[in-house]
Amino acid sequence: MALLSLNNIEVVYDRVFLAVKGVSIEVPENGLVALLGANGAGKSTILKSISGLLKPERGEVTRGQVTFEGEDILALDPPERVRRGLVHVLEGRRVFEHLTPEENLLAATSMHADRRRVKSLVEEMFGLFPRLAERNRAKAGYLSGGEQQMLAIARALMTRPKLILLDEPSLGLAPFLVDEIFDTIRRINTESGTAVLLVEQNAVAALDVAQSAYLIEQGRIVMSGTAEVLKANPDIQQAYLGGGSNVDYHAVKHYRRRKRWLA
Amino acid sequence: MDMLLLAELSINGVFVGLMYALVAAGIVLIYKTSGIANLAQGALAMMGGYAAWAFTAMVGLPIWLAIPIALAVMFLAGVALERFALRRMVGQPIIMVIMLTLGLEIMLRGVLPGLFGSAVKRLDVGIPNTPLFLGDLFLNRATLIGGSVSFVLILLAIAFFNSRLGIIMRAVSDDQSASWSVGIRVERAIAIAWGLSAMMATTAGVLWGATQGVDWSLSLLLIKALAIAILGGLDSLPGVLIAGIIVGLAESLATGILDPIVGGGTRDVVASVIIVLTLLLRPHGLFGREHIERV
Repeated sequence: MALLSLNNIEVVYDRVFLAVKGVSIEVPENGLVALLGANGAGKSTILKSISGLLKPERGEVTRGQVTFEGEDILALDPPERVRRGLVHVLEGRRVFEHLTPEENLLAATSMHADRRRVKSLVEEMFGLFPRLAERNRAKAGYLSGGEQQMLAIARALMTRPKLILLDEPSLGLAPFLVDEIFDTIRRINTESGTAVLLVEQNAVAALDVAQSAYLIEQGRIVMSGTAEVLKANPDIQQAYLGGGSNVDYHAVKHYRRRKRWLA
Repeated sequence: MDMLLLAELSINGVFVGLMYALVAAGIVLIYKTSGIANLAQGALAMMGGYAAWAFTAMVGLPIWLAIPIALAVMFLAGVALERFALRRMVGQPIIMVIMLTLGLEIMLRGVLPGLFGSAVKRLDVGIPNTPLFLGDLFLNRATLIGGSVSFVLILLAIAFFNSRLGIIMRAVSDDQSASWSVGIRVERAIAIAWGLSAMMATTAGVLWGATQGVDWSLSLLLIKALAIAILGGLDSLPGVLIAGIIVGLAESLATGILDPIVGGGTRDVVASVIIVLTLLLRPHGLFGREHIERV
């Protein structure tokens, strides 16, 4: 049985705008699944429907089920979903700017009653991300983008999740930092067995770490499969991976490969 | 100018300032968690004073029992205020929320004296009325005790914000969606802040009630508290301590020195002047946090 499954989810914003039109996704135990797609395809909306963070943006799941460990979680509020083991790293990092890195980590421990456990968790995170320990005297708002992303991930891990939802972790980072972030994601997935649902625009990097992926366009899933299969697909190569390096561009000047699934 | 008088004015000013600061600390507490400037804080102090008086004079409890009960009742009142009035306003423009708190202030100012009678109620907390002589200095006992209690409470509040629950509350003020996403029960954190703030207001109400009696004018503490909170920086508790001392000193010296010259009434001008000057010269106050912008 899948750890998380979305069954025919429909999301409406402001009661009029249909952003997600019947999406079904499965994340297996210990799986690393990627959601790919262009801007405005509905990827972030799907993550928010899972974590419950649609409400502040006046969004609503109007149809379908979200089940986590076999239980329907749509009626639960976001803090309760976190307590079930499902945590969302928001797009744009969203660290607590006026708190130090350590305070950021402590803020995410409202569900742990045991003080020693909290302390060992903090030490574990500082071991995993030594940069954060070095920068512990600065306020998080003054950390670099890469450090903030590490902090956002570490903060989410403090809740001891079974599934972590990552929204665009590589957004606005230098290429070598992107590699580092994806390396971290892979480590989290393999070492602690935490399942990951990854939303990315950087399809090359995402398909390298993920086991399987879904391609989303205009609120619909248009393609899904294992990472290898998607990587080999010529449509994906053309549209997302910048592939087809042996093409004579003079010959194809007036021809753009059509995304056939949109017909 | 007589040095002795000056010293007296200064010492009394500092302690009175600390007592004002306690009301301001309640405003800061709410601002630090929910980002709302609570303009009903003066009325909460008045309500706390009335509550303590009601439990002694109307119920007949001894004062040492009436005060803790008043504190507990006011904690619940603060939580209820958040639950039934403020939470409905989530998502509304911030100015609407501030208007709501101002409306509460005005309403309570009218309703409470209406319920309990508008005559000044005597609240006896057992502080003797006789002044304290320190050498040649002539000091007010109620003010000294009130200022000291306020000082300790503000220090406790500072310590609280460095505890785990305090860190969580600061996180809530930074980013509510992000707080939700890591499992913080945002509504509960804000409700606790309102409850604690109402308790601080009650303590202030009792301390002021002990010096000047309980009536509607306790809610005028709002103006002084606002001046202090704005001068200190709306989200800084150490700022409140220092600004409280500054405002208290300025007021006391103004009354002592300027009143004989201009014929009185400078006391209430001081707070207003401080509000205006701070907003013109240093809008985020002495210790308020600035917007972090990475370059």
